[in-house]
Amino acid sequence: MTRYEARPPRGDRPLAVLGISDVVVIEGTPSVPVTMHHVSAWGRWVRDVAVPDAAPDLIRVLAQRYEVVWASEWGHNAHTAFAEALGLPAEPWPFLPVQFDKLAVIRDYARGLPWVWIDGPVVDLHDPGEVEDGVIVRVDPSCGIAGVDLDALDAAVRGIVR
Amino acid sequence: MDTGTAYGLRQGAPLYDLAQVGPGTPYGEVLRRYWQPVALVENATTRPARVRVLGEELILFRTRKGVPALLHPRCIHRGASLFYGGVEDEGIRCCYHGWVFDPEGVCLEQPCEPELGLHRDRVRQPWYPVQEQYGLIWVYMGPPEKKPVLPRYDTFEDLPDGEQLIVNDAGVGGGGPAELDFNWLQHWENVMDPFHVPILHARFSGNQFTPEMAVIPEVSYEYTPTGVRSIQMRGLGDGRRLRRVTEVMFPNLRVVPSPKLASGQTNMIGWVVPEDDTNFRIFTVARDEDPAFLAKLRSTHEGKAWKDLTDAEHQRLPGDYECQKSQGPISLHSDDHLTTTDQGVAMVRRMMAKQTKVVAQGGDPVGLVFDPADALVRIDGGNYFEGAPDAPLLADAVED
Repeated sequence: MTRYEARPPRGDRPLAVLGISDVVVIEGTPSVPVTMHHVSAWGRWVRDVAVPDAAPDLIRVLAQRYEVVWASEWGHNAHTAFAEALGLPAEPWPFLPVQFDKLAVIRDYARGLPWVWIDGPVVDLHDPGEVEDGVIVRVDPSCGIAGVDLDALDAAVRGIVR
Repeated sequence: MDTGTAYGLRQGAPLYDLAQVGPGTPYGEVLRRYWQPVALVENATTRPARVRVLGEELILFRTRKGVPALLHPRCIHRGASLFYGGVEDEGIRCCYHGWVFDPEGVCLEQPCEPELGLHRDRVRQPWYPVQEQYGLIWVYMGPPEKKPVLPRYDTFEDLPDGEQLIVNDAGVGGGGPAELDFNWLQHWENVMDPFHVPILHARFSGNQFTPEMAVIPEVSYEYTPTGVRSIQMRGLGDGRRLRRVTEVMFPNLRVVPSPKLASGQTNMIGWVVPEDDTNFRIFTVARDEDPAFLAKLRSTHEGKAWKDLTDAEHQRLPGDYECQKSQGPISLHSDDHLTTTDQGVAMVRRMMAKQTKVVAQGGDPVGLVFDPADALVRIDGGNYFEGAPDAPLLADAVED
């Protein structure tokens, strides 16, 4: 172990791998209601970010069905910084500190578990192509996770499990 | 059993899409959409000079009538380099068979051909548009139909009496030689890494700037319409707070106010211009009363200039150059562990990735100006002191 190794998945449910930017943070003009949040972690830095109003409920429901894993350039700050804005549990979810072309890292982490990866299009410097072991969801950056249909997501993941 | 040993280490890879600058590379195409400084105006003379920029070699000269030019080096006739050409009133004459090209590559003469070249108007020496501004030669190397206006910057306009523009190509802010021998991105993204300042430039290597800069700041990061900004707040312990605003502006500008804490809007801007993937120069323009202002900005290391340090002193007193050069010819970005202090770096990379996609899809990256009426760009970077206006700088107090 020389690179960071995330806490391994529990293994009792599929993984929902979430980016931050474009997913729970809207960087451009939003097409859904958003609220500005002053986020930080441990006080050294702050950012004012727009979070879709629908995000807390969607992520709460997602966390009931999946093990949520952050995969972003926010690293270990992700959970702490967004805990209040998203109503997250106190115990941080695992995180994968990766900014671009995340597929290999996600597969390595999933260890054969089915997974869904929800992210914005900017992270794909190279096309991840078609996958069979998981589901890739690319959100509209103007609405982020607020545009994700969780029932459709469940159906797609069930298709992997079968 | 030992764990975490280097045995079998598999190293990561650079973010080539962001780091590489040659023709056809994702960020190279972004860089080509903007005017780039390539030389001091005094270096464009009647003696041809080789200039390497964005992975392309060009020949810089100034006609005897005073017009600067940048031409592709390989003569379109038989390939001899125009570096050996002779500059004339209207252009440059190839040494091999005497073809003459003007600053826009128009072939004016083919002396061995009938009537000086019956078909000379059917060929063209590849060239790039050039302008002179702020003491620099600027080139536009992008698609001709997308050529923007060369911007001006408010901090360099309407100079007060006594101030003058100063220009420097010797690596101001690089902490090393004039020509920096590693990938340009390692330097540029460092501008959005204010947390290295109190560590590298203070605790580790002694105060290379001022005592204020040794204070670990609380940093607010934000995207701007043209880049990324960090606002660094430092309590100075005397009732004042220092609000230091630094910016990267796309595609490669560094807006870093004086680390020696001159107050107010920054008086200088730097352009981090890649020569190729592993070499770059920093062109800096400043305004000040002292013509040696930029030269004096160079940090000293226990009183010694960087170039005079021994190897042992480089180890004991490292600065930006030692850190950024040692990241590698092109850093292995996928091996980075971005964390609390790296918000700004991550934002820069993300905004770069966005621009590569915009350009690849035929759009315009941020900050381009096409209407001359909009050519004046506002600069917000600076050092701003809040509270207790008459309190001296810590540096002054120390000197007292």
